[in-house]
Amino acid sequence: MIETINNFVSRFETSINLDENSLLKKQNRLFLVDENLKRLASKDFFYAGTCLGKTEDGEFFPSFSLLRMIAERKANKVVVDEKTEWLFICGRDIFKQGVIRLQGSRRKGDYTLVLNRRRECLGFGKILFDLSGEREGAVISNIFDLGDFLRRER
Amino acid sequence: MMPGREFFTRRYETMGWNYKNVEPRQAIRVNLINTGKATDIVRRLLSLGIQLEKIPFLENGYWICKSKFSVGSTTEYLLGLYSIQEAAAQIPATLFAETEDKTVLDACAAPGGKTVQLADLMQNTGAIVALDVKRQRLVALSNQLERCCVKNAVVYLLDARNASRLNLGFDYALLDMPCSGNFTMDKNWFNRRTIEDVERNAALQREILTEAVKVVRDGGEIVYSTCSLEPEEDEFNIDWAVRNLGLSVEEVNCYGQEGLTEVFDKRLDNSIKNCRRIWPRQTQGFFVCKLRRSRTND
Repeated sequence: MIETINNFVSRFETSINLDENSLLKKQNRLFLVDENLKRLASKDFFYAGTCLGKTEDGEFFPSFSLLRMIAERKANKVVVDEKTEWLFICGRDIFKQGVIRLQGSRRKGDYTLVLNRRRECLGFGKILFDLSGEREGAVISNIFDLGDFLRRER
Repeated sequence: MMPGREFFTRRYETMGWNYKNVEPRQAIRVNLINTGKATDIVRRLLSLGIQLEKIPFLENGYWICKSKFSVGSTTEYLLGLYSIQEAAAQIPATLFAETEDKTVLDACAAPGGKTVQLADLMQNTGAIVALDVKRQRLVALSNQLERCCVKNAVVYLLDARNASRLNLGFDYALLDMPCSGNFTMDKNWFNRRTIEDVERNAALQREILTEAVKVVRDGGEIVYSTCSLEPEEDEFNIDWAVRNLGLSVEEVNCYGQEGLTEVFDKRLDNSIKNCRRIWPRQTQGFFVCKLRRSRTND
């Protein structure tokens, strides 16, 4: 599973160092824990430390904690304006005019984190068209956004 | 008047409080670990049109005065910069002494408001072992932990009455008990509740208290709270714990009136006055106290 995470993170053109000894797996979910928590987490635990994500049908779904960890690094990122921030959290794709800053890849198919003006991570998406060019309509598709915290409890 | 309402409100009068229908004000608590300074988040929310008022008896609590939209759907909420938490419910976690690097049991943790608050007070150090008895509630708890960037919690699907099965020792235990609740949070409360419910809950609470004493280290602290106004779940249980579990009631400096030491012709241990009883006004009804496990318990 650590390889799955590394592969996912590399799609943002960055990497994170995860110590295998600090990871706990519970069914399809992976958690990052310190020594103290590891001692307290017996095999029956439900959740521990920082959830990094889960796999379903071979596909990896990151947690927000993992996205925040990636956001602390030099990685593919776009900064969006307030209106786009709200639309993105509501599950919408991103239009070119809503992007106010770009860092890292502009290539079609790459993943990019989506940040607000305060550089807070709102989620991530996939670049639909080369971001260097002029384009009408959506340029980044929404894959995962903060609004998921509301949607998952419905 | 429904018979249930009359029965319970008469009891409140006997305890010195005249029943008034009250709607508690909505409140938030700033998660300092994610924001740095409470004033920053107050300013941010004000810029969105959310007016806050500082809750005088809480360090990081604010009442919502005015908001055009739900405070549970802002970016700031989703980023874990604050939690929605009723004002009185923000008190229990603040009663522990030093919390950093401690090992804390949160025995009835879901949906996780107090677990997140503990993590905030502990600055994500030490460890919280959070239990709840319903899987679905653990999902909600886990979501809260992820949203609020809590890193120091381990969660178990476990009845608090079986906490000793984990074979762990704790510095502190937070027992935010399953209880009968009160009329401010449930419009049908008086129709729904009977004294038998209250007694059943009180018995369950005594079982959880007994288990907590087994897992808290000598000299450790137990914070007990309910949102019940019924003395069977509050003062009577603490009096029972003092007499049967060797716990002492510590003085606390927090909002609320002294616990009752004479209720329904029963004379309780004088230390029960160290408890805090909160009659509904701007908050819901609440009861809280801090207990210490003596060093002589086995």
